[in-house]
Amino acid sequence: MTTTTAAPAWAVGVCTGVHAAGSRDVVYVPDNPLSHVLRVFEHQFRDVRLVLATREEEAFGIAAGLYLGGRLPTVMLQSSGIGNSLNALTSLLVPYQIPALMIVSMRGDSGEWNAAQVPMGRAVRAIFDSIGVPHATVGSADSAAETVRLAGKTAFGTRTLGACLLPRCLTLKVP
Amino acid sequence: MTRIEATRIIVDLAGDAPIVASLGHPAYDLFAAGDRPQNFYTWGSMGLASSIGLGLALARPDVRVFVLDGDGSLLMNLGSLATIGLLQPKNLVLVVMDNEEYATTGGQPTPTAHGADLDAAARAMGIAATATVRSEDDLRRAGAERGDGPMFIVAKVKESAPTAKPPLDCVFIKHRFMSAIRSPQSAIEGAGL
Repeated sequence: MTTTTAAPAWAVGVCTGVHAAGSRDVVYVPDNPLSHVLRVFEHQFRDVRLVLATREEEAFGIAAGLYLGGRLPTVMLQSSGIGNSLNALTSLLVPYQIPALMIVSMRGDSGEWNAAQVPMGRAVRAIFDSIGVPHATVGSADSAAETVRLAGKTAFGTRTLGACLLPRCLTLKVP
Repeated sequence: MTRIEATRIIVDLAGDAPIVASLGHPAYDLFAAGDRPQNFYTWGSMGLASSIGLGLALARPDVRVFVLDGDGSLLMNLGSLATIGLLQPKNLVLVVMDNEEYATTGGQPTPTAHGADLDAAARAMGIAATATVRSEDDLRRAGAERGDGPMFIVAKVKESAPTAKPPLDCVFIKHRFMSAIRSPQSAIEGAGL
């Protein structure tokens, strides 16, 4: 594969974890770090269907429909998009017990340069706690696959949401 | 044509096919027109009925998926038209019950009361097969059409006060729906070890 040399290890780990959790459908709104993940999916996981949404809330609606149709959906988004998603999460996926694995590219955490990204970035974990969404932070490239796989296994097995946060200190590393 | 009359036509056209209904009056009328396990009633997530229908249509290309949306609801998630236009699911029939008002919240006029044209919006987003209908016959004809892409129908309807509410238990609605369309559900069906 010509592109594999350029793929950061954390991105390969994320894709491996999503795939190992049984998910073959990834609904996403892109951001910069996630472009690496998308590229790995495209080149190394061709059985994964990538669905572009115009807004994060829409992505969760599509994910819910995929689950109703028998699929195990993943939603990939930037942390700022959690704000756009709250009504979908709290009035559709949570009360109907519709699971989704969430891959959240963090903004506003350590290394951030844009003040507009900071308030939501700081609030994301507290928001997840307050609406009962389990979340794990991917600490290193080595642990990415297992962290994501386990989050997905719990989400799909117990019909809950499960979020994996990708901090900037992870995603900004040069491979 | 009232919304309940239009809803009865869609239920009739759907046969055993799934119907996803937007919250509030579209869902209430779907229940009144014909409660069936293949009905997915939303109780929240305003705007997402078309997205849920799209996801279902992608997951189940073998099944025709009907969506009963509202004009106010679709206006909350217009980007959905762009996504449907991009993906072109040929098994998706999106019906907007356009009464030109937010009936569930007291009848405040929506932008469609002032000329906002959802049919034109759908075409502009790449959905080629669209129709705006005002009669039961025209709705029946449009809903039965099958083409190479998604079908988008604006049903101009008069508000008809709902007479019933669907089941309140969200998880019950989900399990019943998934069983009816034969989606795997180890949670209630059990699984091998």
